[in-house]
Amino acid sequence: MSETKTKRFGVKRWIIIALFVIGGYCAFGPIGILKPIAPLVVLPGEPTGLSIGTFQITNTILATLLADLVLLLAAFGAYRFVKSGKMIPSGFYNFFEMLIEMFWNMAEGSAGKWARRIFPLTGTIFLLVFTANMIKLVPGFESIGYMKEGHGSYGYSPVELVPGFLWTLDKDHSIKDAAAHGEEATVEHEAKPEGEGFAGATEVSSDKYYEVVPFLRGSATDLNFTFALAVVTVVMVQVYGVWALGPGYFSKFFQFDRLINGGPFGLIDFGVGLLEIILELAKILSFAFRLFGNIFAGALLLSIVGALTAIIVPAGLYIFEVFFGIIQAYVFSLLALMFASGATVSHHGGDHEEHAEHAAA
Amino acid sequence: MTGDIQIGLKLLGAGLAMLGAIGAGIGVGLAAMGGVQAMGRNPDAAPIIQTNMILGMAFAEAVAIYALAVSLIIIFAA
Repeated sequence: MSETKTKRFGVKRWIIIALFVIGGYCAFGPIGILKPIAPLVVLPGEPTGLSIGTFQITNTILATLLADLVLLLAAFGAYRFVKSGKMIPSGFYNFFEMLIEMFWNMAEGSAGKWARRIFPLTGTIFLLVFTANMIKLVPGFESIGYMKEGHGSYGYSPVELVPGFLWTLDKDHSIKDAAAHGEEATVEHEAKPEGEGFAGATEVSSDKYYEVVPFLRGSATDLNFTFALAVVTVVMVQVYGVWALGPGYFSKFFQFDRLINGGPFGLIDFGVGLLEIILELAKILSFAFRLFGNIFAGALLLSIVGALTAIIVPAGLYIFEVFFGIIQAYVFSLLALMFASGATVSHHGGDHEEHAEHAAA
Repeated sequence: MTGDIQIGLKLLGAGLAMLGAIGAGIGVGLAAMGGVQAMGRNPDAAPIIQTNMILGMAFAEAVAIYALAVSLIIIFAA
């Protein structure tokens, strides 16, 4: 047994070394089209050319829909597995069950009897953000797209691979001919000739300079995605609060009883109550910017470091990105759980818990 | 020429805005230190400590994220 194992390891080792050599040749060799190009940093999602009516579908929306599709397929798979009656999950569904169990225990631990209502929200958030962060790391994301004429100082001359269909960019012929050496992503750039209707190139000619607008870009690199999630979460926190405590939930914000019979300190308490409204709004901002900042900075780091050192280093950063994708999804749903379970507790009853939470926010 | 100076100052400002990451780095490091020490003393309580540690790190990190947002706004929006 051990003999075959060592033998297989030996083969894999040579494959990896060969890949390194090929990567090194591509990045630092003489052929311009294999060289990684400098990344293009764009903050808003770019239109892909698809549209519903006048509503243009950006590449981040497309990626989010893809994540939804993956999740739906996984959900149907899990459903079929449950229907099949097998008690012992295997492989992928083992992982699924582990996730669900972990989140269920977490929800039950912090929300008690409200766990049944809060769990669907936090579980959905985790699964969606997790899937979106993971599929964004698949090669082809952020590198395959249509050609758009370069602006300013960015752009490379195109090289035709498949006539009329597939182009790639030549690193050795950039707008600024002072080409800094060595950059990443042995990417192939697909050009879409029928990409008209917006600032796309309908016809790629080899004497102009182009940049690539990707078809798919990580969902969380668009502020709209994270902001929507944050707004939904914070609104749902209020809903849980009202659900649990009735209209009395809003006495957290408007402490009229303290104002009337609290004396001079009652006024301060009333003011503090009003500040809580601002805290709720700040939650939206911090939720949205945390996820967006982490993922966008990660994508940026990956492409820039990848462009500077084409081999070895990006592999380590990729692992880092996987880790951050998981952590951010976990943190988002954990915070949603904490806020939601905090809202279900009466302000006067569970005072210490509330204070810890607000100090943190 | 003036445009170039403006772009340069903009980028400089974006870089300076990221100074806020210093505090966040210290904060995250302190949280991790405390968490690991606590887990070393009391391994049985590791899951609870871990959850709270990650929570604290997320809040500490938020400051760096605000700094990043500010610098992104300076570069792209301002």
